[in-house]
Amino acid sequence: MVDVKGLKKVYKLSKKQMAKDNRKTNKLVAANDIDFEAKDGEIFGLLGPNGAGKTTILRCISTLIKPTEGSVKVAQYDVVNDSFEVRKRIAFLTNELKLDENFTPKYTMEYFGKLYGMSKEDINKRREELFAYFGVDSYQDMKIAELSQGMKQKLSIVVSLVHNPEVIIFDEPTNGLDVITAKAVTDYLEKLRQLGKTIIISTHIMSVAERLCDRIAIILNGEICINGTLKEIKESTNTGNLEDAFFKLYQDKVGAII
Amino acid sequence: MSNDLLTIVKKELKRVFDDKRLVFTAIILPALAIAVIYSIMGMMIDNMVDTMQQHVPIVYVENAPEEFLRLAKTPAYLTSMELNDANGDLESIKSQIYSGEVDLLIVFEDDTEVMISNYQDYDRLPNITTFYNSSEDNSSTARFRLFPNLLEQYEKMIIGYRLGNAQYASVFAVDRIEETHDIVDEQKAAGRSFSTLFPVLITIFLFSGGMGIGMDTIAGEKERGTMATLLITPVKRETIAFGKIIGLGIISFISAISSFIGIVASLPFSKALFATGSGDVSLGALGFGVSEFALLLALMVTMVGVFVGFISLLSVFAKNVKEAGTYVTPLFMIIMVLGFMNMFNMNSVELSTYAIPIYGSVAALRAMFMFEASTVGILITCLVNIVLTGVLVVLIKNMFNNEKIMFSA
Repeated sequence: MVDVKGLKKVYKLSKKQMAKDNRKTNKLVAANDIDFEAKDGEIFGLLGPNGAGKTTILRCISTLIKPTEGSVKVAQYDVVNDSFEVRKRIAFLTNELKLDENFTPKYTMEYFGKLYGMSKEDINKRREELFAYFGVDSYQDMKIAELSQGMKQKLSIVVSLVHNPEVIIFDEPTNGLDVITAKAVTDYLEKLRQLGKTIIISTHIMSVAERLCDRIAIILNGEICINGTLKEIKESTNTGNLEDAFFKLYQDKVGAII
Repeated sequence: MSNDLLTIVKKELKRVFDDKRLVFTAIILPALAIAVIYSIMGMMIDNMVDTMQQHVPIVYVENAPEEFLRLAKTPAYLTSMELNDANGDLESIKSQIYSGEVDLLIVFEDDTEVMISNYQDYDRLPNITTFYNSSEDNSSTARFRLFPNLLEQYEKMIIGYRLGNAQYASVFAVDRIEETHDIVDEQKAAGRSFSTLFPVLITIFLFSGGMGIGMDTIAGEKERGTMATLLITPVKRETIAFGKIIGLGIISFISAISSFIGIVASLPFSKALFATGSGDVSLGALGFGVSEFALLLALMVTMVGVFVGFISLLSVFAKNVKEAGTYVTPLFMIIMVLGFMNMFNMNSVELSTYAIPIYGSVAALRAMFMFEASTVGILITCLVNIVLTGVLVVLIKNMFNNEKIMFSA
């Protein structure tokens, strides 16, 4: 379970960044007053355009950055005070986390498995299972550099799941994947939900959010505009689908779409 | 924690040893390049000295007194120069000196012989003018080695005549008895040769060995996004920092040893590069015992810790490998300057000097090769290096926790 309460993240900008973005203050509020709860056996979606603050929120949950205000708890552990315990229990997958391309998938699994404190038998078992599911097994002794883009992304997912985490956080899970790989990934997320895992994903693709998420929070300008099931969101905005609901909220909050 | 540390160190080593290109540039190339370059340099110096020694200086003389010519034709001088009469053609000879074809022109005053024999009637000395070319080694040697020697003998001859006996012109005989007068400690003499260049070379090798791979292992990982993947694992930041430093330190050390093997391999040809004293330039002549080697090893290992610590710290701070290069290169220059400051310093190393970070390490190396090192001093240097490495690990750990540095997006 992930519990986010009153999360605020303020970035301090350098003079160079201020000049680049033409900003008058050196503070940028990337996320403000974020409240939500992602339960076990649930896929929770953060939906919003680029720059809305989705990645910032996910980074805070994953202990990579610290919240300026508010609290984030992952499986009862605080991300600031118990970051070590949190890291043991989560998988965080984003485009900016990469694997060293000089190693083979097999070695990479072993390396990360060991860092998560797993035994050799557990690592092997997990590797066989995940490699078979994602079709990495026949490439496991090749250098990652030699793999196709899709295979690299599948491997990133596999490696992030090596320790069988309780909480899975995916930043744009299907971004840049071909339709076949994207389907394999979303199917696996559904499988993880069945296993009772807590899953948080961020996306700007409506169909992904609509099909996959049990509950959705729409984020605009660093704030949550609405939080609920698809049905609740449609009812509340008096619209027929998520896309219409999103644009209605966007117009209310940000203004007309050009 | 120790398991994680081992995993990270192993991965760092595997990263290098699996990559044939890295193995070649970090480990094989230093030995090969240094052996070849130093051998060629040494052989060229030997060759230059040989050519100079083989050269017979071409000397022209104008108005030479009879006695001077007689002396020049004695067996002692006959083979050591080719003496010609200038025959008044001074300008042409000067242009030949300018072009390097002739080495020396000696011009005696017109009536030198009269002035010498009636010396009591003159209130000034007969003048000798010499012409040479300071840009030509052979010409300089003829002017400043051959000529003074010849003139001294000539003057002695004249004084002998004036005193009525050639023996009276000399007052002392120096070291005439056949026995060894050089009471030299061969070990110290060899050490003196090594103490000039070796401390600087060892320092430079230790630093440069870790430089390329160090920037790649941290700044490169940051740039490629693999560092963040590591930071998301439940491994303590200091373990990551320490693991990287140990892995990098081992590579650095192997690379430095490889460079060192290069020097040893080149020694048969490159003695001229290192010989500053009269000692035999070989590691055998240095005769380090077990305790000396143990201290040298401790010194080098702790120096590696400090160097890779600094390289890592700057690489963590940098956004990419290019930026890391901008920070690490000036540091490399500072290290080289500290090394060279020791190179031309022959003073004994004070105990307090051992405690100066980096400079003290180079000084300690120098003291070791000069056989003047104090064990306490070396241990102080090692301790300072260990503490400094510890401080660097803490700083790196803090940087890993600094989201502005690690995730500047």
